[in-house]
Amino acid sequence: MERLATVAFYLGLISYTIAGTLFFVDLARREGLAGARRWAPKILGVGAAMHATHVVAASLLSRICPVESLHFALSLASLVATVVFLALRRRRRLDAVGAFVAPLSVLFLVGAQFVGTPAVQPDNVSRTLLALHVTANLLGFGLFLLAGGAGAFYLVSERRLKQKRSGGKSRLPPLDALDLTEHRLLLAGFPLLTFGAISGAVFVAQLGAIEEGTLLRAALSYVTWTLLAVMLTLRVVAGWSGRRAAYGALAGAACLLLVILLYALRSGVST
Amino acid sequence: MISVVGVSHRTTPIEVREQLALDDSERTALLRGLVETSAVAEALVVSTCNRVEVVVAPAPGSDERMAADVVMQRLLSRVPVAMPHLYCHLGPRAVHHLFRVTASLDSLVVGEPQILGQVKDAFERARLAGTLGASLHRVVTRAIRTAKRVRSETPIGTGQVSVPTVAVDLTRQIFDRLEGRTVMLIGSGEMAEQVARLLRGAGCRIIVLGRTESKVRELAAAVGGDARGLHELRAGLVDADVVVSSTSAPGYVIDRDAVAGARRSRRGRSLFFIDLAVPRDIDPGVESLDGVFLYNIDDLSNVVADALSGRRRGAELAERIVAAEAASFDRWREGAQVTPVVVALRVRFEAVLQREIDKSLKGRLRHLGPADRDALQMMLGAAVNKLLHAPTRRLRQGAMERDWEGPPLEQLIEAVEDLFSLRGDAALEELQSGPHSAPPLDAAGLDEGATGPGEAEEPTAMRDVAEPAPRTGASR
Repeated sequence: MERLATVAFYLGLISYTIAGTLFFVDLARREGLAGARRWAPKILGVGAAMHATHVVAASLLSRICPVESLHFALSLASLVATVVFLALRRRRRLDAVGAFVAPLSVLFLVGAQFVGTPAVQPDNVSRTLLALHVTANLLGFGLFLLAGGAGAFYLVSERRLKQKRSGGKSRLPPLDALDLTEHRLLLAGFPLLTFGAISGAVFVAQLGAIEEGTLLRAALSYVTWTLLAVMLTLRVVAGWSGRRAAYGALAGAACLLLVILLYALRSGVST
Repeated sequence: MISVVGVSHRTTPIEVREQLALDDSERTALLRGLVETSAVAEALVVSTCNRVEVVVAPAPGSDERMAADVVMQRLLSRVPVAMPHLYCHLGPRAVHHLFRVTASLDSLVVGEPQILGQVKDAFERARLAGTLGASLHRVVTRAIRTAKRVRSETPIGTGQVSVPTVAVDLTRQIFDRLEGRTVMLIGSGEMAEQVARLLRGAGCRIIVLGRTESKVRELAAAVGGDARGLHELRAGLVDADVVVSSTSAPGYVIDRDAVAGARRSRRGRSLFFIDLAVPRDIDPGVESLDGVFLYNIDDLSNVVADALSGRRRGAELAERIVAAEAASFDRWREGAQVTPVVVALRVRFEAVLQREIDKSLKGRLRHLGPADRDALQMMLGAAVNKLLHAPTRRLRQGAMERDWEGPPLEQLIEAVEDLFSLRGDAALEELQSGPHSAPPLDAAGLDEGATGPGEAEEPTAMRDVAEPAPRTGASR
């Protein structure tokens, strides 16, 4: 099992790296590279499969449920982003976003190895609720990361178009595809984030004593939730889309990344 | 010989070019005004999005420089700020420039096909205005033939990259799917029509707006769209995803305030303006609005030019063809100077010999039968050819050979005219004055696709010099 987990890890890592390189080459070359464009998503898919195999094998090996550990949760969040990207690219011209997703997956796959193992779980916390809390958060985080990536691509593409630097056959995805993808990802991730925030508040209440770090994470989570709620509302009410929505998605993803970083920096991990 | 005075995208920013742009009536007025001066005999104006050029031939007693000065004065009186941007080509350089322009080598998008049609259009307008004579007729028809040769013998025009296709590609960079998108087409114009057709082909709905109802209906039918009045412009700005504008309005048709107002109702939907007009139709200020994108003709042309770097090899080959054709035209033009003298000499010799033969045939040779008379007539033609061979060759050498060491051509012509009393000869004067009104392009065999490179004909006068027409007894 250990061998399987290790082999899957390295194969996933290699696949993600190759896919990321191919996506980047296709994006960077003026006329694109048809071979890279054809193979990159397939190799990314292989990477995602190896990634999933690694998570399953490693969790079985360590006898830890993936949704009870930040180690696996981080890894799974990037896997969610990758799988959602692969599904979305079949419907929209979003291939270039692969140049963001593949390196992100490499980063999280490798980075998760350095996160501490879970600490002993407090008795007064419901295991089911904890699993749901982590699942909602990792799914939400994966979606928001992808939305942030789409937002970043939107800003780059929009800037190139405004500055007339965009060639006739740009490899960047169409602006409205990026905008719509980013919006739908935020819409899908928002209920998950809401559930994560509420369940987190319940845990804090159950634990009784509140540490400074926990308070900071909770505060940052609520700020992120508020930011995304305001942004989604403004889109519906005032038609905020495009550049402003992209900045909002980027800010939301950055806040969430900060929350995760604060979790990861803790010596022990309880959720 | 000719002069070319003008501005182009190479020398002049769009802000100045749009001031110099001429509508139909202004163009005709300029042409007629020029030929009314004592310096200009013939004139033609090529006015496109990327250039305004006036081609003139000097009047007798004037020269290329004087004719060019008159054009410069006229242009600067309209737009004084054009002064530092104006260029002027004289004589062989003007011919070479005109050939390059017509062959699309001087276009922003090298190899684009529109310029050839625009030069033909300029030719027809000048002809209808009565400002086209023998000189410009010859040089422009030769330029058009050269352009056709360039297009057929080089890869300069290959590929699908053009302003309309780039406009559509850019639209696809903003909108993922074009099916069901609304395109508002304001005004007419070849390029705008092409953009509309391409977008229509991609599944867009086309709305055509304009002032003249009949024209709008006609254009709407041509591009498969709905015709609307220009009063629906503001409502259209709310509904449209793409606006293609190509009117001849002197000012902005769509200003920033109108777009800013429409944005509130658009609820954040992107809006792409394609401004193909010169002067521009869309206020450049709209670009500062979020979700609004604007590409004018220069922006689109720059994208195309960038994409066409692969055509450089074709352009190099085309430059060689153009240079060879321009040099050949120059040699022909110089050779053509002796044509009237050679033709008059031939007419004189034939007339004298014919008179003597006619006298003999009525006198001592009246017993000759038809076969002998025909043989005599052929002998006459052969004798004229042999007699004129040496002087014709010498005159042509004087005109066309760069290293000619004999007396100057003018002296040779004068000597021949004096020796054979050709001055005052009606035939000679007719030949020297050239045609009084130029035939249209289709009559010259230069209408669309009429002449391939291999079919290009030498001008009639040139054939006369090179190969005397066979004579038969029956014709006399």
